[in-house]
Amino acid sequence: MAETILIVDDDLDILELLKMNLEPEGYNVRTANDGESAVQSACANPPDLILLDVMMPHKDGFQVIEELKNIEDTKNIPVILVTARGQTEDKVLGLDTGADDYITKPFDLREVTARVEAVLGRTRPIKYINPLMNAMGDKFSEEGLQQLAGHLQAAAAIQKKLLPEQAPRLEGFDIAILLQSSTSVSGDFYDFIPLSETQIGLVLGDVKGNGIPAALLMVMIRTALRLLCHEEDTPASILKRINDLVVRDTEADLFATMVYGILDIANATFTYSNGGHCYPFHWKTTNEMGVLKTQGMLIGAFEEATFSSDICSLSPGDVLVFYTDGITETETGNGEGFSENQGASTNTVEEDMFYGGDKLADCISKNAELSASALCDSIVNDLTVFSGNTSTHDDRALIIIKRNI
Amino acid sequence: MNFETTIGEQNISILHVEGKILGNAADVFRKEMSEQLQIGRDKLVVNLMNVPLIDSSALGAIVVTLKSCQRSGGKLVLLNPQKAVREVLEITQLSTVIEIYDTEEGACAAFM
Repeated sequence: MAETILIVDDDLDILELLKMNLEPEGYNVRTANDGESAVQSACANPPDLILLDVMMPHKDGFQVIEELKNIEDTKNIPVILVTARGQTEDKVLGLDTGADDYITKPFDLREVTARVEAVLGRTRPIKYINPLMNAMGDKFSEEGLQQLAGHLQAAAAIQKKLLPEQAPRLEGFDIAILLQSSTSVSGDFYDFIPLSETQIGLVLGDVKGNGIPAALLMVMIRTALRLLCHEEDTPASILKRINDLVVRDTEADLFATMVYGILDIANATFTYSNGGHCYPFHWKTTNEMGVLKTQGMLIGAFEEATFSSDICSLSPGDVLVFYTDGITETETGNGEGFSENQGASTNTVEEDMFYGGDKLADCISKNAELSASALCDSIVNDLTVFSGNTSTHDDRALIIIKRNI
Repeated sequence: MNFETTIGEQNISILHVEGKILGNAADVFRKEMSEQLQIGRDKLVVNLMNVPLIDSSALGAIVVTLKSCQRSGGKLVLLNPQKAVREVLEITQLSTVIEIYDTEEGACAAFM
């Protein structure tokens, strides 16, 4: 049976043009020339896809999507937004609202056909299953969602098991850890691996990308690290080998950043290498703030990545702070809706909108005399004050290592 | 985030981005670049002069596009990244695999 497309636009010429273009492709085409009748038409007889103009009087495209998403029969209908050229904000907002794709006016008719086919291609398999599920007395969407939630929970549980719950107790050192996840599956990870009587391997990393693929990459990296850290001498050669293992098996946009190092308790040294991760801080009792600035490529993106190792000595009272960018990218609570006033504001103002490395360094300096866990609490408090709330959009992780006085 | 693509000499696409590239904006950013590639424009200049901040998704978009450009014999270069963005490029060492220019003339000359 031919699939039905509902085209919504207040410009009758465009309606006609799209209709003439899509009908020969074998689609049934219905039209509506304002938001209100679009919602009515979609509810009365749900189409397979809606091609929806954003800019319409009375009820715009975003309002139409919002209404449709709240109605059981229409909430799963795929929507392609048609936006005016240059209105990037519209595209972002559209995808946020739940549109499946967008087309920019003026459009190439071949592009319209291609996008319609692509979106229908993605949603078709679900639709074929839907009647079956209905026949069995279940709604696919709910069932599917529950199943997906189950998988996510399982992934989160596996991941949690891999992350040590407590900081290791080491003679002469005070260690605190923090992990806050924005979703059930975290992109941030850390691990402590005993290497010998006096040495412990330490990693803090951040897998970029979301959901299950990112969680899988994290598991891959952690496993590779656990195996390799006993074989290789230097942190740099370990990162190099992890990169080479991972780069073959991942898409280009799935990568990680991480710091790996060996804490030597007997000599009070930390030997480390960095794969594209935020540089850890080293607060010294001389009240200087150092940065562990060894450079290395992010992990898993490039075959020819290089890494180097460096070493630092920890005097009694010195503090090392490892963190992920969820900390420094915490947004300020002042300035509601500042994302909409781009162009008007200067860069420096926007930079102040984020917590940033400087504020973190300040907070560490001011509280470095405290215990590791009290310092950790101070940083979390500072972030809460800065952002005005406790919820976080990104994952946050911290490891604090303090050499006892 | 907002952007505008202009076409310079030798079919070089210059993508002028304005605002932070975070979250869904990074998807739009990525798609705009891949659309340029799809129509055969694999000489890309991304003007970051008015971009105060990018996140990991934006980095991912740059990495993916860089690789696609290289595969088809083209190139992706960055123009005028500001302090915070430059720092991210340096920490991740993307600055060692992507050419970065301070002027549009310099960026375009990279394709000569």
